[in-house]
Amino acid sequence: MSATIADLKAKFRDPSPAELELIARYAMLPEDGRRTRAFEAFALTGLPHRRMEAWKWSDFRSALSAVESAKHTGHGAALPSADDAIVLRVSARGIDLPKAAPDGLIFHQQTDAPALGNAEQVPLAAMTAALVGRVGGMDTLVVEVTGVVKAPLHVICAGDRDETNFARIQVVVRPGVSLEIVESHLGGAGFSSFLIEIAMHQGGAVRRTVLQRGGVDEAQAITALIELGEGSVYSQTVLAFGAKVARIETEVTHQESGSKAELNAAYLCGDGFHADITTHVRHGAPSCTTRQVTKGAVLNGGTGVFQGKFHVPRHIGQHTYADMQHQALLLEDGAQVFAKPELEIYADDVECAHGNTSGALDLEQLFYLRQRGIPLVQARAMLTQAFIAEALDTANEDARVAMLEAARDFLEAVS
Amino acid sequence: MDCCGGIDDHDEDCAEVKVKDSIDEGTVAAAKALESENYSAGFSTEIETEYAPIGLNEDIVRFISVKKEEPEWLLAWRLKAYERWLTMTEPDWAMVRYTKIDYQKIYFYAAPKAGANYATIDDVPQEILDTYKKLGIPLREAEVLLGVEGAAETAATARETPRVAVDAVFDSVSVATTFRAELAKAGVIFMSISEAVHEYPDLIKKYLGTVVPQSDNYFATLNCAVFSDGTFVYIPPGVRCPMELSTYFRMNAENTGQFERTLIIADKGSYVSYLEGCTAPMRDENQLHAAVVELVALEDAEIKYSTVQNWWPGDENGKGGIYNFVTKRGDCRGDRSKISWTQVETGSAITWKYPSCVLRGDDSVGEFYSIAVTNGRQMADTGTKMIHLGKRTKSRIISKGISAGKSDNTYRGLVSVNKKAEQARNFTQCDSLLIGGDCGAHTVPYVENRRMDAQLEHEATTTKLSDEQLFYVRQRGIGEEEAVALLVNGFVRDVLQHLPMEFAVEAQSLLKVSLEGSVG
Repeated sequence: MSATIADLKAKFRDPSPAELELIARYAMLPEDGRRTRAFEAFALTGLPHRRMEAWKWSDFRSALSAVESAKHTGHGAALPSADDAIVLRVSARGIDLPKAAPDGLIFHQQTDAPALGNAEQVPLAAMTAALVGRVGGMDTLVVEVTGVVKAPLHVICAGDRDETNFARIQVVVRPGVSLEIVESHLGGAGFSSFLIEIAMHQGGAVRRTVLQRGGVDEAQAITALIELGEGSVYSQTVLAFGAKVARIETEVTHQESGSKAELNAAYLCGDGFHADITTHVRHGAPSCTTRQVTKGAVLNGGTGVFQGKFHVPRHIGQHTYADMQHQALLLEDGAQVFAKPELEIYADDVECAHGNTSGALDLEQLFYLRQRGIPLVQARAMLTQAFIAEALDTANEDARVAMLEAARDFLEAVS
Repeated sequence: MDCCGGIDDHDEDCAEVKVKDSIDEGTVAAAKALESENYSAGFSTEIETEYAPIGLNEDIVRFISVKKEEPEWLLAWRLKAYERWLTMTEPDWAMVRYTKIDYQKIYFYAAPKAGANYATIDDVPQEILDTYKKLGIPLREAEVLLGVEGAAETAATARETPRVAVDAVFDSVSVATTFRAELAKAGVIFMSISEAVHEYPDLIKKYLGTVVPQSDNYFATLNCAVFSDGTFVYIPPGVRCPMELSTYFRMNAENTGQFERTLIIADKGSYVSYLEGCTAPMRDENQLHAAVVELVALEDAEIKYSTVQNWWPGDENGKGGIYNFVTKRGDCRGDRSKISWTQVETGSAITWKYPSCVLRGDDSVGEFYSIAVTNGRQMADTGTKMIHLGKRTKSRIISKGISAGKSDNTYRGLVSVNKKAEQARNFTQCDSLLIGGDCGAHTVPYVENRRMDAQLEHEATTTKLSDEQLFYVRQRGIGEEEAVALLVNGFVRDVLQHLPMEFAVEAQSLLKVSLEGSVG
């Protein structure tokens, strides 16, 4: 890197200790134009903080007082992998690939992967693009889907008491083919950031199922940038347990007509945990559909955040159908839930709606179960599990069962 | 329409517009009629006006204070706000775009030269009385009782019965306050805030700036420094105000800003319904209106505050119009108190307005009913904040946004439930209607819940007028514009029914006028 650390520091406004650490890491990486652009974009905002409108409830700058090693290795079990699943293990050392790529998939390991989407517009995506990789190693994995892939692609991100774990995967789905992606993000690093970019060509289909777990002393970001081609279908299901601060952000662009997106998520947060589900959907083509259901349950000391936005540009977004629902349960006093379901509509022939509710469990339902001899803890767990189940219906079936069990275990353990 | 290349001397001949042969005369005549009817309050009044020197500095703040013969403490209060304002930056988060305001090119004080301290209504210059009469606001009590001949039909008819006491604010001064004696019999204080500063300094000192503090936001702080007049209302304990109170704001002078301040205090167990109307002449330049409204409801008191905002919205090309940057907030300070905001926003080039309720008292209730209509190049970013602090506090928000032409209409709202606000309850519904493909409708709600037992519900929809409904109405022989007006009235019915009778009629006709030309 030709720029000195002092030059790089000057690009940031009053850099925090964690930002100084990230600047030092960047200075050690090989220079290339893309990386420089991403770093410049990151330098404009630094680590996102509460004074930035889109991050007012998820302050990474204050949560990351320094980049420190995690106290634990990855948290909990990964989602189940089918016997023939194609497993990609992501750690601080890089991405471990299977020995041979299965039929229908091509892995490209490259340092100059073309940028998809708008990574530079999302602060933590820009940061990941700037800092991913290491000297002499791959910085981005490109997965090209060219034919029928029978087994799911399972990405397991787990650190081993690391300071950081940054990874970037780009997926290109060729016309008419489909892919199933399962992701288990288990923390184990003081600061994990995973960036996935998916470009779907005409008639492509992707189903993505994501499990997020982290430690109470860790910061985690999972960012997905999705571009949808004509008639393509994208389905995403997330279960997040949060971390000290955790953000699962998804940016979807309907680029061509007739595409469909389904974005479902559930979050469960215990004491000291924070989970942020943020989505931004741009209907950049006519006759596209987006459906979104997010459900959450939060305990004393936990924080749930939901931010959703549908953006329908002038003229080109006609005949959009978009529906967004967020429903949250505050299971105990001391829980907090923040929501901002947003519509920005510039086309008239559209149907867009959102709904947002938050409140306590229905006492009558609890009473009904308890009078049948079910203890309070199980009754609450049972009702909460049933409440969030709707948001998990679209997941990979094996993963769905495992997610519901994980939810039930969590709810019974913390009660 | 500027057909004279910007030259001021418009005359009748100039109104002749070349019309394509294919368009029949009837259509042209109808269009012309519409044009003149569109903004009936757009005339200006020829009256000699006294201004403060143009621009803003400490001397202007002192000038205003001297004009109002204010006590030293109020001048100090203004100067403190001015100092603070100098350190603040204009907010840019709202979804509105406008030419940057040059505060050195605005007159911060303008008053009829004849003076503003009129002892009786007979002393008020005839031009001003005529202005209000033309707007349908009779200032002579006898006229109110008898009905005014020639007054604009809708407003005047509505105002005849029951009686409404009016405080008329003309540019920077209050020119008349009606029915004061009768209200005083009930113990109700209703006067301009300038008079109240002298007559009831203790009340002013106790409440001024306690709901909207000096440091609240850029425009509120500016108002604290330069507020010129406004209305003061105090309803004593246990009194139900015997008539509707109202203030009518009129900006007349060119290049002026209006910075009024309204303070309403409803003491224990009292009730008041307050109406506010606003208009301005059609001018090519933008004018700034930065008002502050503070409401205080003590135990068991109720304030109902209704606004029909019809400032000049600018022409169809976005030339001229009022920048309406207003801070309105009510404090439900006592237990079981209630504050209800109802607004019909049809005017202003730019609207930046969030009437809010701080629900401090236990069991207090906040309501917000809003219709915001934008047409032409108007931009409105409006909504509410409901801050739940007390136990069992309830709030309800119904917002209907209608966008037409090339306008943008944003609902922005906050519902916040504090940790101590047990069993708080909120229901929010905000619906947006798009008429035409060049406008925008946006919804930006913030919902912050920190109580397990709070119950918060929010729903929002954005759609266009249903083709089926339009077809249904039209096949019964109703023209397209009228059919749209009918459907729009149905769309906003939930809010209209919360307006006092006096305003409901006026609001309905305003809605119709505002949307004229938006179809086809």
